Amino acid sequence: MRAPGLALRSLLPFLLGLPALLALQGSLSDFWASVLITAGVNVILAVSLNVVNGFTGQFSIGHAGFMAVGAYTAAKITLAAAGWAPAGLPPRLADGAVFLLALLAGMVTAALAGLLVGMPSLRLRGDYLAIVTLGFNEIIRVIIENTAFLGRATGLSGLPRRTTFAWAWMGVIATVVMARRLLGSTHGRALLAIREDEVAAEAMGVDTTGYKVKAFVVSSAFAGLAGGLLVHLIQLCTPRTFTFVKSIEVVVMVVLGGLGSVTGSAVAAFGLTLALEGLREVQEYRMVAYSLLLIVLMLTRPTGLFGTREAWDWLPRLPWRRRPEEGA
Amino acid sequence: MSAAGVAAPAAGGEGGAAPVLEARGVTMRFGGLQALAAFDLRLEPRELVGLIGPNGAGKTTAFNAITGVYAPTGGEVRVGGARVNGERPHQICARGVARTFQNIRLFKELSALDNVRVACHLGARAGWAAALALTGGFLRDEARLTRRAGEFLAVMGLAHRRDEPAKGLPYGEQRRLEIARALATGPKVLCLDEPAAGMNASEKVALMELIRKIRDDFGLAILVIEHDMRLVMGVSERLVVLDHGVTIARGTPEAVRRDPKVIEAYLGDSYLEERHIAVPDDRPGRKS
Repeated sequence: MRAPGLALRSLLPFLLGLPALLALQGSLSDFWASVLITAGVNVILAVSLNVVNGFTGQFSIGHAGFMAVGAYTAAKITLAAAGWAPAGLPPRLADGAVFLLALLAGMVTAALAGLLVGMPSLRLRGDYLAIVTLGFNEIIRVIIENTAFLGRATGLSGLPRRTTFAWAWMGVIATVVMARRLLGSTHGRALLAIREDEVAAEAMGVDTTGYKVKAFVVSSAFAGLAGGLLVHLIQLCTPRTFTFVKSIEVVVMVVLGGLGSVTGSAVAAFGLTLALEGLREVQEYRMVAYSLLLIVLMLTRPTGLFGTREAWDWLPRLPWRRRPEEGA
Repeated sequence: MSAAGVAAPAAGGEGGAAPVLEARGVTMRFGGLQALAAFDLRLEPRELVGLIGPNGAGKTTAFNAITGVYAPTGGEVRVGGARVNGERPHQICARGVARTFQNIRLFKELSALDNVRVACHLGARAGWAAALALTGGFLRDEARLTRRAGEFLAVMGLAHRRDEPAKGLPYGEQRRLEIARALATGPKVLCLDEPAAGMNASEKVALMELIRKIRDDFGLAILVIEHDMRLVMGVSERLVVLDHGVTIARGTPEAVRRDPKVIEAYLGDSYLEERHIAVPDDRPGRKS
């Protein structure tokens, strides 16, 4: 395949996605836009956490911590750039550029946080990672609550509302494309091998520690993206948004959808968000509902809704769907 | 398939070439327990050596010390002349030592092809960024790895199982898939930990033939742990006998068979007679 063809193939999901999302955006009411943005943010969180918990078989329960790092970074940048209007550039375009930059910066800082947490803890196996990530989540919260620069417990308010439906769901497309392409590559298979049997993976030449750290860094980066998107919807960035409860919410979505299934995570995150919207009247019972849901699911379908399969695995094999290894 | 693509070491004569794998006085202690004492081994290119001994003799411990699962508490391990003590298993694998496991350790949920493709991953050149951006280099890389993995499946007679999950394969095929996976790392030394465990007599003979064929086709040095003495005697050029972590004999199968210490430690207790009467097949999971 020629280079232009390849570039097109590489960018195709985004090129198709953007006009579709923009077209859809126009017909959404404010209420539905904000519900769907929240759902999109949760899909990003669940799919990115699945890279660590589902693909690699580790157990991280501090996703909200990385979300916070990305959110505060992005919030600081958009706040600093408020009122910045370069001559000759339409203000909407300037705002968009600043927002994009803020989101990317949030991803980078969240990735760095992931590296910092992952490097020492991913040498260990099993439950240690859960403890460390839980601890990290709390440490981030405490640091924020005690830092004047970050607004302490009241947080940062007065953020511009930048996250539109199209922004959020472009983020979803980016996350899903990342996860699917990773799974289809030799690096993704190395992650799956670690999940299946770490000793054997290591013996087959997979640098298991290195791979776990990389998976963790990528996952954290997308958690940072979700954080940046969320705070520019609610226009408020407080430590209360990023507590341990939020982390558990994401874990529930991943387990519910099926560890290792990208579409499973996406469907579960989307469905749960809508369900919670419906349960808004009884918010205080939502953790009870979550727990009940998990118990019922673990009893009836321990592998999650989709197991490790993807939604299209249930479709009949279509003639034009070649197996990926036969392509190229 | 020819041995193309697999680094074939020069045919080693007696003495001339450097050993591909060498253990010098390797000792493994776990607390107060000495599992392996002053273990010596020289493996020349294309040599097929059997490592035998009764249960608990330290055979697998020797394997684990060589392949980096444990760092030896004493002595040194050299691969192609380079000291590898303390290196992690994936680093030792990259130097050209591949292994299988006594209790099969396949990636159960992955297809047979993917099991082998994981092992091909050492040859991957495209990085994460290339994979996420779907660059041309990445796609070519994937196609190459897939082709290579398919070839190894074919060599081990598993081409028809390509897309089946490893856990669904019959026992004998799982054993062969483990060997295919080890071969796919492009080793110079292949360490097989009881590859015939749980097989019946005719399967064992066929497997030993296959092992000899692999050695010839790929030009590998092979170290086989085997419990069944008769079997390994037929296929190995040299044997090393362990008992309670101590090397009690080494030499040609003929010499080892007559060694009184070996007979006492291993062949005694009317072990051979029992084997002749009935080959016990009480291992779980045996099915073909």
